[in-house]
Amino acid sequence: MATRHVVCPADELQPGDRKIIEAGGLSVGVFNIDNEYYALNNVCPHQLAPLCEGDLTGLVTSEEVDAEKYEYERPGEIITCPWHNWEFDVKTGESVFNPHLRTRTYDVEVETAEDLDDEMLEELAEGDEESIPPCQKYGASLAGDEPPIETYDVAVEDEMVVVYV
Amino acid sequence: MPVSEETTSRSDTDGTLSLVDCDVHPYYEPDELVEYLPEHYAEQQGYNVPTGMWTDPSGGFRDDAEPVGGGTPGSDPELLVEQALDGPGADYAMLNAGEVLALTVSPQAEYAHALARAYNEWFLDKWLDYDDRFIGSMIVAPQRPEKAANMIREFGDHPRIKQVLLGSATETPYGRPAYWPIYEACEEMGLPVAIHPGPEGMGMAPPNGGAGYSGTYFEKDSGVIDHYIGQITSMVAEGVFVEYPDLDFVLLEGGFTWVPTLLWRADKDWKSLRAEVPYLERPPSEYIIENCYFGTQPTPQPDDPSDLVDMMEMMEPEKTLLYCSDYPNWSSEALELPDLPEELESRIKADTAQELYDLPADPAELG
Repeated sequence: MATRHVVCPADELQPGDRKIIEAGGLSVGVFNIDNEYYALNNVCPHQLAPLCEGDLTGLVTSEEVDAEKYEYERPGEIITCPWHNWEFDVKTGESVFNPHLRTRTYDVEVETAEDLDDEMLEELAEGDEESIPPCQKYGASLAGDEPPIETYDVAVEDEMVVVYV
Repeated sequence: MPVSEETTSRSDTDGTLSLVDCDVHPYYEPDELVEYLPEHYAEQQGYNVPTGMWTDPSGGFRDDAEPVGGGTPGSDPELLVEQALDGPGADYAMLNAGEVLALTVSPQAEYAHALARAYNEWFLDKWLDYDDRFIGSMIVAPQRPEKAANMIREFGDHPRIKQVLLGSATETPYGRPAYWPIYEACEEMGLPVAIHPGPEGMGMAPPNGGAGYSGTYFEKDSGVIDHYIGQITSMVAEGVFVEYPDLDFVLLEGGFTWVPTLLWRADKDWKSLRAEVPYLERPPSEYIIENCYFGTQPTPQPDDPSDLVDMMEMMEPEKTLLYCSDYPNWSSEALELPDLPEELESRIKADTAQELYDLPADPAELG
């Protein structure tokens, strides 16, 4: 069963951004594409390169053998492997040239404290300190040892990007 | 006209062919072609194709192919029938132009076009109807693609014209869209387009070798695959087989053991550089396997002949290889193919060519 891992506050992962985190012993790249979130195993299926460190680009397509007719589609939705430039669809993990070749994808959610059920909170409480997000340590819904020392826009601060690996 | 009655082989009994020789050369004395040129060219140019940079010290031909009483080997139809058809028991011989192919690198484009027409008319008059087992390639001048296309439509409906032949060297690589009218006409007429060595490094051609001009004929001959790899890669990369999916491309006398290397290299590069050629719908190797054919000659001779069979197996040989003797050249090697599995030998020696050129079991049915 997938385990929940906090990535970062939502405002730290803006459209076009990515973060690479350790989660469940794996390296995982988490991407924000137009405020939709995607996560890929940071491993290229070709030779195990850190795929998610590659360049984000678009997909060049053409219905005709004519460079004037090329389309540049889905900018920012294709990642190229840093070792051999193989293209992968960030949304599906599939290789562009061979959809049977793919890297694993994971579910990403943007959650607020209210989304957490009791069981998840227990898990969080049992987890190590580092994995507990700021909104849990300092948010109003949990009693912490330290009181909030500043207040922020709750609607933003409360949103956390989490990945289920 | 004389027609040999010695039609041979299994074709009479079970409807299959046993041997189709895809590269046999009928030769001419230059004056023969001049007679077919327009008068002003005949008078002012004569026979004029780029040549002379290298001399083959072997003389180029099998000594026994010289006609009794002299003349250029391959110039006597009767002797050619005897040695290239009856002797080996061939069901068909594809007759391909020789030195005149150097017109593809002539800077005199209009003259080259006229000379191509002269060759084609001479070829039809002297050769193509001489024996039922003859099929042939017409030639065109790629310097004038639109005119070449018209010539393909003009000559290409002759029932024994089965191919359009070009020199393997030309001013720019054959994938360039400037040449596409030729491919459009070939596809329309159902004719494969073929290339054959000869004019590399001459006339308007780039240096014959990838590293520059060769110092000997030996060097030129051994390195001719530079041009073959260049031309086929150009055809694939420029999208010729996307634009003309039914076009067949036949690479004669360039050997074939380099093909697996190219299949692998092109696919490797395509995986990394696909975005540059987004119109390619499949890996480049698939276009090569599906649209391209390779003559068996010159057949490399590794110390262990089974190595050659191993290399064949890396390029889907049952689809891609065409038996060629290259008669009457010295590099003829009808007997140099290694021992092959029976079915593969049948594919290479006859079946693939029969399908490619749409050859009836009875040559007389070609009309």
